[in-house]
Amino acid sequence: MKCNALIALSLMALGCSDDTESKDTISIEEEADTDTDTDSDTDTGDVVDDSDYSNLSCDDVEGDCIGIPSGDTDALFEAVNLAEDDLTIILSAGTWTLDNAVTIRNADGIVFAGQGMDETILDFSTQTVQTNGVDVVGDRFTIQDMTIQDSRKDGLRVEDSDQVIIRAVRVSWSETGSDENGAYGLYPVRCSNVLIEDSEAFNASDAGIYVGQTQYTVVRNNLATGNVAGIEIENTQYADVYGNTTTGNTGGMLIFDLAGNPVIGRDIKVHDNIIEDNNHENFAPGGTVAQIPAGTGLVLLATRRVEVENNRFANNNTGDIAILGGLAIEGNQDSWAIPVEEVVGDYEDLDLPTDELGVYTHEVSNIVVRNNTHSGSGTAVDVYDLTARPLGFLIGAIYQDVAVDSILYMEIGESAYSATDAAGNSNDFNICAGENTEGTFSSMDVETMSSRLAAFDIPTIDELFRPAAPFAPFDCSALTGGEIGEIEITVE
Amino acid sequence: MHLHRILLPLAFACAGTKEDEKANAPVQGALDSGDTDTAQEITDHGFEGDVDFDPDERPPERLSELNILHWLDGRFVHNNRVIPYALNSALFSDHAQKHRTIWIPEGTSIQYTSSGVLDFPVGTAITKTFLMPHDLREPREALEIIETRLLIRGSEEWQAWPYIWLDDGSDAILDVTGEVRTIELIDPDGTPQTANYLIPQRNQCVECHEIRQNDGTRQMTLIGPQARTLNRTYDYEDGAENQLQHLSTLGMLTGMPRLDDVPTSTDMSAVAETVRSLGVDALDPSVRDQAARDYMDINCAHCHNPNAVEGVSSQVWLNHDADDLFHLGVCKRPSSAGEGTGGLDYDIVPGQPEQSVLWYRTMTTNVGAMMPQIGRSLSDSVGSQLIAAWITHLDAPDCSE
Repeated sequence: MKCNALIALSLMALGCSDDTESKDTISIEEEADTDTDTDSDTDTGDVVDDSDYSNLSCDDVEGDCIGIPSGDTDALFEAVNLAEDDLTIILSAGTWTLDNAVTIRNADGIVFAGQGMDETILDFSTQTVQTNGVDVVGDRFTIQDMTIQDSRKDGLRVEDSDQVIIRAVRVSWSETGSDENGAYGLYPVRCSNVLIEDSEAFNASDAGIYVGQTQYTVVRNNLATGNVAGIEIENTQYADVYGNTTTGNTGGMLIFDLAGNPVIGRDIKVHDNIIEDNNHENFAPGGTVAQIPAGTGLVLLATRRVEVENNRFANNNTGDIAILGGLAIEGNQDSWAIPVEEVVGDYEDLDLPTDELGVYTHEVSNIVVRNNTHSGSGTAVDVYDLTARPLGFLIGAIYQDVAVDSILYMEIGESAYSATDAAGNSNDFNICAGENTEGTFSSMDVETMSSRLAAFDIPTIDELFRPAAPFAPFDCSALTGGEIGEIEITVE
Repeated sequence: MHLHRILLPLAFACAGTKEDEKANAPVQGALDSGDTDTAQEITDHGFEGDVDFDPDERPPERLSELNILHWLDGRFVHNNRVIPYALNSALFSDHAQKHRTIWIPEGTSIQYTSSGVLDFPVGTAITKTFLMPHDLREPREALEIIETRLLIRGSEEWQAWPYIWLDDGSDAILDVTGEVRTIELIDPDGTPQTANYLIPQRNQCVECHEIRQNDGTRQMTLIGPQARTLNRTYDYEDGAENQLQHLSTLGMLTGMPRLDDVPTSTDMSAVAETVRSLGVDALDPSVRDQAARDYMDINCAHCHNPNAVEGVSSQVWLNHDADDLFHLGVCKRPSSAGEGTGGLDYDIVPGQPEQSVLWYRTMTTNVGAMMPQIGRSLSDSVGSQLIAAWITHLDAPDCSE
């Protein structure tokens, strides 16, 4: 096969031999010692081979495998650029100083594995060109057990790929709170069947973990700290987000659709997460997240069919949960229209407004928030940048002497709204909140409130709809499109 | 309804490694201007012999072994069956000059298509060689020959193979790992610049050269050789001739209609000369706008088109025939652009390039924000001016409601 021929050729060029295994296992660990080409190996210099494959070596895997000696950048770039289907690339313990991205293209079934997040480090701090850290397009891709640090753009970007496993990968930027850090830590985009687990993201200038425009994903047991947004799920369908900890970010978690994107977000479960102390100053250089007030727990924006259950919210200084219509961010309704022929995935059962321009995705609807715990949040709203973060300013102006309600439904265009008469709230969009320990709820007509504020007629909390639990009529048993089923991903 | 607009008035009331080996020693030679990629004056045919390789295998380690071209005393010398060509407009690559050739197996031909890339036969070998002049005001002097990218049409799809030239320019060596090279140059305005020039690793070729086909599979593709971009005159050794006509006469191109019926894109070298000498406003408005669209077509649309693999997440389509204002970016919020927004609200604000993400990203040299994604570290002043002028004069409603 082409694949084997290429690998064999590259190995012949390197003057290396197979090890004693009878299976098709390849090692180039001796490369630094046997290479007599004097001008090709300045990267490694007089290498004392301190390679360490104690957690995973090519002996442990079936099929084609290449071991990458500690710090050997030539071997690493050679391996990824000649990789063909179903190759396992195992990095030793060690640190690689890289001036260019590590790329995977034209190859499916690649396993890219290190020895552990503390053992195998890809260091991009000397990058001068604009590239990501690890940059992948390829189906059945697995990356595990390594740290990617200080890349100029995204840490790990996987695009347009099916069956992606990201396991025990740490992405970090050394500088805290710097708007020059890369945008996204772990970033699968336009993918399907994505698992992100046991991973960590630190100090991204946008989102630590960002699942974008993807169908079927499980995001579990990860840690996100020091990012503008800890975890973002954008224009994504069928997502199960659980067991994660987001702390020390500007905003803990953000579930949203972008205006005009054809993957209409839906069916997202957010459960058993810890979302606390997300009070980092907002340091985003731009984009949607620049609008997140510091101290935000969870934002649900222009999304639908989302369950938020059994999470622990604590000490998010602006507030725990905001449920927000898309028109608050992008007021031009036309730009939320997706031409029907462009829509990706199922949408017919969502009953979204549709006209000759297409299907409109600005509404936030069918949201269930229950059985979460709340404590210590909403006591110090980020009101400091009206231009960049008007929502914080609005909330701060209204809640001057009392803690912000745990769940804020900032509705725009609800067919009927009344602050005083529960029956006057039609709840057409099925916003359902209840049974949250220490959780309070309020609904406000954000358009009217903003206009009032702009006229220096500052609204008070008495003008919000603040029902006692179970927040009737904001308790709904039937979601448009039926119950949200189990979220499953298919990985070979 | 927009919280920013409603609340804004309140704001006023309230508060190296490998590069060390490279001497950067310029090679003597002569080339044409950098706005197209013509290297017409430095090419000769001169040798016979087979161009012999297996299109489905790794090509030879030395470029010279392919028998396609050599670089001798500042001139390219070609195999007699190799045809050099140029494009009407070319990707900006930190001012590098480019020299391109086509070779197709004997007895085969290229099939003409009026839109998209021409249909090349299996076994086709295309080369693109990058040369950097020391001083862009004298682009034919003191050239450093850097790299040759070989694209081979395999039996299933195209394959990309990058070669890096030896310091003495005697040959180029296959190197899939790429290199970041610091290059000092003087730009066309006379300003000294330091380029962090990226010789792409093999996979980085794919970042631009890949599309998703109708059947859902990803496939390598060419970008430049389309009828409209090849429709120009080339100074061949035996006289000037239209490139498509030339290929057709040689029997290497079949199905070509009358030349009058072949579409054409803007000749960017002429446009660039006008912009540099007289300013962008000296262009006829229709020429200016078409030039901007053709510039974006070749510099942006390899990712920013609906069938691309990378770039689709932006939902911005910049192919020359894209006509939907929203997908051009007009009053469209940037997608996951991170630092790339420059803090701006919309991809394009008609009439206001300085408020438009699209202009910011194509103009800036801020690492993390630049577009195209890879392939430049310097700013292209002509391209930026064209895009700015196009946005300034764009006939579209403004972004306020």
